[in-house]
Amino acid sequence: MISLRRLGVILRHELRISMRDPFSLLVLVVFPIITMAFLKPAFRAALQQSGFPHANGAEQVVPGQAVVGAFFIVGVTTFAFFSEFAWMTWDRLRASPATSLEIVLGKAIPRVAMVLAQFVIVLGTGVLLFDLHFSGNALALIPLVIVFSISLVLLGVAVTAICRTLQQANSFAYVGMVLFGAIGGALVPFNVLPRWAKAVAPATPTYWAMRGFHSVILGGDGLGAMAAPIAALGAMSVLFVLISLRRLRFDETKVAWA
Amino acid sequence: MQNTDQHARPIVAAAQGAPTLLVEGLSKSYGSTRALDGVDLRVEAGTILGLLGPNGAGKTSLVSIVAGLRRPDAGRVEVCGIDATRSPHQTRRLIGIAPQETGVYLSLRVRDNLRFFAGLAGLSRAQVGARVDEVATALGLAPLLDRRASQLSGGERRRLHTAIALLHHPALVLLDEPTTGADVVTRRQILDLVRGLADDGSAVVYSTHYLPEIETLNADVAFIDRGRIVARGTTAELVRTHGTSALELTFIDAVPMSARVDGAIVDGTTVRIPGGDPAARAAELLPRLGADARSLTSIEIERPSLESVYLAVTGRRYASDPTEPLSLEVSA
Repeated sequence: MISLRRLGVILRHELRISMRDPFSLLVLVVFPIITMAFLKPAFRAALQQSGFPHANGAEQVVPGQAVVGAFFIVGVTTFAFFSEFAWMTWDRLRASPATSLEIVLGKAIPRVAMVLAQFVIVLGTGVLLFDLHFSGNALALIPLVIVFSISLVLLGVAVTAICRTLQQANSFAYVGMVLFGAIGGALVPFNVLPRWAKAVAPATPTYWAMRGFHSVILGGDGLGAMAAPIAALGAMSVLFVLISLRRLRFDETKVAWA
Repeated sequence: MQNTDQHARPIVAAAQGAPTLLVEGLSKSYGSTRALDGVDLRVEAGTILGLLGPNGAGKTSLVSIVAGLRRPDAGRVEVCGIDATRSPHQTRRLIGIAPQETGVYLSLRVRDNLRFFAGLAGLSRAQVGARVDEVATALGLAPLLDRRASQLSGGERRRLHTAIALLHHPALVLLDEPTTGADVVTRRQILDLVRGLADDGSAVVYSTHYLPEIETLNADVAFIDRGRIVARGTTAELVRTHGTSALELTFIDAVPMSARVDGAIVDGTTVRIPGGDPAARAAELLPRLGADARSLTSIEIERPSLESVYLAVTGRRYASDPTEPLSLEVSA
């Protein structure tokens, strides 16, 4: 059973903590916008050689950097849990009437909202400053972005469940960001990836997010083209939930600073 | 503390006549280490139970299990008649715990820390403000409410940590080593507060390894040693039943033969002579030491106290490390 009132208390608390140290939120937004600025020309040529003669580079660099930047939320989510151990507040939280589900949702929901806000800002900046055009229905991206955001935050919860130390969780989050970003076709266009990378790409959430973006931005598709990416990201989310259910132990002591 | 609303009174025991805390046959092991071994306890509303024992005796394990933070291997815990191991979410509303480690959100203001835990405990928005002010005033935190917790001194943080446990005026307050690392002012404030809580009707379990604090509180006492309750009663009862007076002499080197009177217990360079009037014994013994008196480094007259109770019931001196047995040698 979830108490909406208690969940609201935790949500407000998590937002308050995030607002006290907004640096990680700024990274979510600033990092992609900066990289977009100097990667766009390189991707113009790559896209034109890949069969999109009118592409200006924004079609790859804007969603690609948004997707890679969104991956920061995996580390932000794990930190939301590990910081409780650093502050010695984890046992206090567990001893309160809040249930395990309320605690996890209270930490996860604000992070999903942060990624959604990041996509709105970065894609909006792409349209306004980097000449990004959607050949298909841009509104079709809304469910894709929501499911992708949820999957990343759930990945963060699963990483928290698996890792015993913050160092492990950080390594997992940041290596995952680069690796999934590259293999999934967010850092470089999918077409230029080696064959082996193309073969394993569907195992990454990044691939499905980028496939959805490309369908709308370059392919001129609409909501129908989102079915496969959303289904794949949904399946991954379920997998992350199962990992969390199996491995997340609330009475486990985690090491925050070593 | 002044009571201002319904949440400022201890929640009434769910079952009429049930003690606030009932622990029966509680056992817990960590690997091959037996932390608790068949612990029984009963704590009534309005009383303070001093849970005394050296580091590693099992105090924190007991407090953690009662608070629902750890699962016992065997035994039963009831809080206000509700089974805490089967329905931990129900009993958590009745418990306020300040764990051993100071746990506060350092990046938030004192007020935000208090408001968060008050909200979690179920206080309405209207009640939260009044209760936060009330608890903050009781613990001397009122002038610090708008300061970030990271800017507090160690003692102030400890008070905030303790205040969080009291926000919903719980029926059962669990304070695990609340004065560890606290300065004199903080220690006095916490002890005053504990007395006030019991006066207001809460049951308080006060875990500590500082014996004088329990003597100051004049609390009921449960001595825990190697996971077992080895003595239980009021401070006065225990001291009357088990407490002994003693004269203790410490020498630079080995205890000389002149100091090894009948019944003396020799421990390295210290000799302890229990029983009788220690001042009279000192007056009698010191002249007999003759030249050996020059190697004396200290003379201590020990009146019956909880420390002597511990020695009487465990055969060991009260030490912070229970794994260091003292090799006692009794003079014939």
